[in-house]
Order: sequence, then structure tokens, then C-alpha cells
Amino acid sequence: MSMDISPLLKMLVFPGGLTLIALGLLYEYIDRKLVARFQNRVGPRVLQPLADTIKLLAKEEVIPAGVIPLFFVSLPIIAMAGALTAGLYIPLAGFAPSFSLPGDLIITVFLLGLLTICIGLAGANTADRFSLLGATRTLTQLFSYEAPFLLALLCPAILADSWQISIVDTSVTGHVWLALPLFIGFFVAVIGLMGKLELAPFDAPEAESEIVAGALTEYSGRGLALFRLGKDVELVIGITLVSAFYLGGLSNPLEFLLKTLGLLVVVAALQALFARLRIDQVVGLWWRIGALLALLQLLIVVILKGVIL
Amino acid sequence: MSDVPAGLPKAWTKMLEGLKNWSRIYSPWAIHFNSGSCNGCDIEILATLTPRYDVERFGIKLQGSPRHADVLICTGPVTLQARDRLKRVYDQMPDPKFVIAVGSCATSGGVFQGCYNVVGGIDQVIPVNAFIPGCPPRPEAIIDGVVKLLGSLQQKKVAEKTG
Ligand code: SF4
Repeated sequence: MSMDISPLLKMLVFPGGLTLIALGLLYEYIDRKLVARFQNRVGPRVLQPLADTIKLLAKEEVIPAGVIPLFFVSLPIIAMAGALTAGLYIPLAGFAPSFSLPGDLIITVFLLGLLTICIGLAGANTADRFSLLGATRTLTQLFSYEAPFLLALLCPAILADSWQISIVDTSVTGHVWLALPLFIGFFVAVIGLMGKLELAPFDAPEAESEIVAGALTEYSGRGLALFRLGKDVELVIGITLVSAFYLGGLSNPLEFLLKTLGLLVVVAALQALFARLRIDQVVGLWWRIGALLALLQLLIVVILKGVIL
Repeated sequence: MSDVPAGLPKAWTKMLEGLKNWSRIYSPWAIHFNSGSCNGCDIEILATLTPRYDVERFGIKLQGSPRHADVLICTGPVTLQARDRLKRVYDQMPDPKFVIAVGSCATSGGVFQGCYNVVGGIDQVIPVNAFIPGCPPRPEAIIDGVVKLLGSLQQKKVAEKTG
């Protein structure tokens, strides 16, 4: 065969596509199980997320009245594609990213944001008032955590003198974990990650006791399955990014598993610990405290770098 | 040529059907609708969802939106007011969907049978797959009802295989 199929394999099997989805389902299970154990429950079975997904895929998809059908059908696909594409730029399972270019950190964060934007648009597309409220909240929250999260990820990038994920990853490997000297940045990054994933304290956009199911209220079947899968993939990518940057890099699969799972335990514990914040509290928290902390950390990094180097 | 699923080998179709059935049994998402109950049954349903009984281990998850749910858990007799709403919630659920009637009232109208504002049991308005009697039924009974409903799905699968 003269044709090189390795890019195709990279996109469909590893690290994109199947591996990412499988890891996403696994991490969703671990997350749910941990939260359940923290709440003194037994928790779901191992194949639960897989069963949920298959069931949703096999269900009827209702296209409600009042939507633009093209958007209704295509938004979940765009969201899923964005999340999967982001997986190509991260050191998944400790291997070098399959595609790497200067500035791919920004691309990855943007592709992760794309998922949230798609969810927001999907909610705004339907005529249902709960979806609209959820969409407003989703997008409001997006504007509050995105900047601090990016700033927090920039600190290690500035230290490494590169906005390329693989270079940052290799430059932090072997040194003391950046989470120790840059603990403020680490803190903001972890909390930002939870905001990005709409996990417990920041789940006002999908608060089922207030606004049914938020932006995705009208979605059933395939669309919902794709959005859920996209969220799972985002969980894996976000955790990989933060642990690559702040927990001393990911250089082999074992390290990847230990560090990301360790971070997942922290995230799950925080989820179980805190009650849901109101949307105005979320925005206030991020802009009054989160952004300031991230800026402070950035300032410290820049000054220290100027003094020491 | 145009009909791809029909062109699939029979074993494949069977396997896919089995997979679908497995996932349905494994992950019944529920929505709770009160069509006029005295609230006794609702409290028991909430008790079922608490960590003590932890239905997440069966994959049961309470959903807010009818669009996400597979199982409609109804309590109470259907009042004239609630009849149209119950029907609408049922119609909003995507196929395949199941209905469980919880409590004596949902089964037959119970103590409210014959009231001027009551239509009767849930089955007067929408098709019901499982009845759970009791006034109110204990959480164990509710879980048992759900498990029996899922078990009937399993049997259908077996019947399909032998048939
Ligand atoms: S069955 Fe009993 S507890 Fe349930 S709604 Fe009827 S009267 Fe209330």
C-alpha cells in the first residue's frame, strides 16, 4: 500500500476517536462512582455510561416544533467533533500528541469551548423556556470561567516559553510539580476545569430542580448521546491538560493514569463537597476572585521569570 | 441495496437487537409525574431515590425532562385537571417508553374512586406497563416493580430468540 493510513488511524482509533470515547466513558464511570461513594452510596455499574449511551443512540429522536431542524441535528455533531479534535493536541495516555503546532494550547481551549457554545446554541435554538434559560446560563458561565482558566493554563506555558502543549509537557517533566510553586494557578485551573465541565458547584446551567435539564431539555436520543459523549471527552481532555501542565508532565501511560485519576479524585471530592452556586454567584466568584487570582499568578510568574532567568 | 439493515446478516441484526435490549434494561431513566396523588406515594418515591436505596446501582436516574426519560413513574389518580397534562408528558417522551403506576390510586383510583373530579387510574388515560399496589408502596416495592418491568423486557428478548 502506497497510501499512508497512519493519520487516519490516529484520528479514528488512537488517540482520537475510539480511545478517547472509551476513556471518556471510563472516566465518567469513575467520577460517578467516586461521588456515589463519597455520598455513602453504592454507585453505578462499570458499563453504566456505555449502556446509557447505547440506549440513547437507539432511542427515537424527537425534533420539537419551533426549532431550526438543521441546527438541531448538526449542533451535537459539531460539538462532538470539536471535543474529539481537541484530543489530537493533548498528550493522551502519556504519548506525544499526534498533531502539534505552535499555539495549539489556544486551539485546544477553543475547541473545548466550542462544545459549550454548541450546547448554548442548541438551547437557544429551541422554543422551550427551560432550554432558553439553560442556554443563557451556559453562555453566561462560559464567559466567566473561560478567561481565568486560560490564564491559569498560560502560567506554565510562559515558564516553558511556548504555547505548544507538547513543549510545555516535556519542559515540566522531571522538575518539581508546578502545582507546588504555582499553587494559585493550579487552584484556579482545577476550579476552572470544574466550571468548564459544569460539575457540581457550577451546574446551575443544568440544575434539574430549577430548569428541568437546562439547554438540552428538548434533546432526546442521538443528540443527547452525542452531547453527553462530548462532555465525557472534554472531561478526559481537561484533566489531561491540567495534569500535564501542573502535575509534572505525562511521559508514560502509567504516569498518565496515576496523575489523571488522582486529579479526578480531587474533582469528585469537590463535587460531593459543595452545593450548587447560583449563576450570579458563579459569575461574581470568577470575576472577583478567580480572574484576580489568575492575574496575580501570571504576574508572579512573569516577575519571577524576569528576576531569575 | 438501498435498505442496508435488511442486507445485514441475520446474526448481526440479532446481536444489535440484543445490545439495544441490554442497554435499555441497564439504563432506565425515570421521570416522576404526580397526577393528583395525596403526596404519600411521592414521598416514597423520593425515599427510593435517597442514598439508602441508591437506585443508581441499577442505572435508574431521575430526569427532569420527559425527553430524556424512558420510564414514566405516575402516582395518584388522574384528576380531570391532570388528564391532559399526563397525556402531554407521555407524548413528549421518545419511544421506547414505559409507564409504571405507583400506588393504589394510580392503579384504580383508590380512595378517590368515584370522586367528581377524578377520571380513575392511570390506565384510563395512557397505557401502563406495570402496576405497583400499596398505599403507599414501600421503596422496596417500587424497586421490585421496576426490576420486574425490566425483567419482562428480558423475557421478551428470550421469547424473540426462541420464537
Ligand atoms: S395510594 Fe395512598 S399514598 Fe398513594 S396517592 Fe393514593 S392515597 Fe396517597
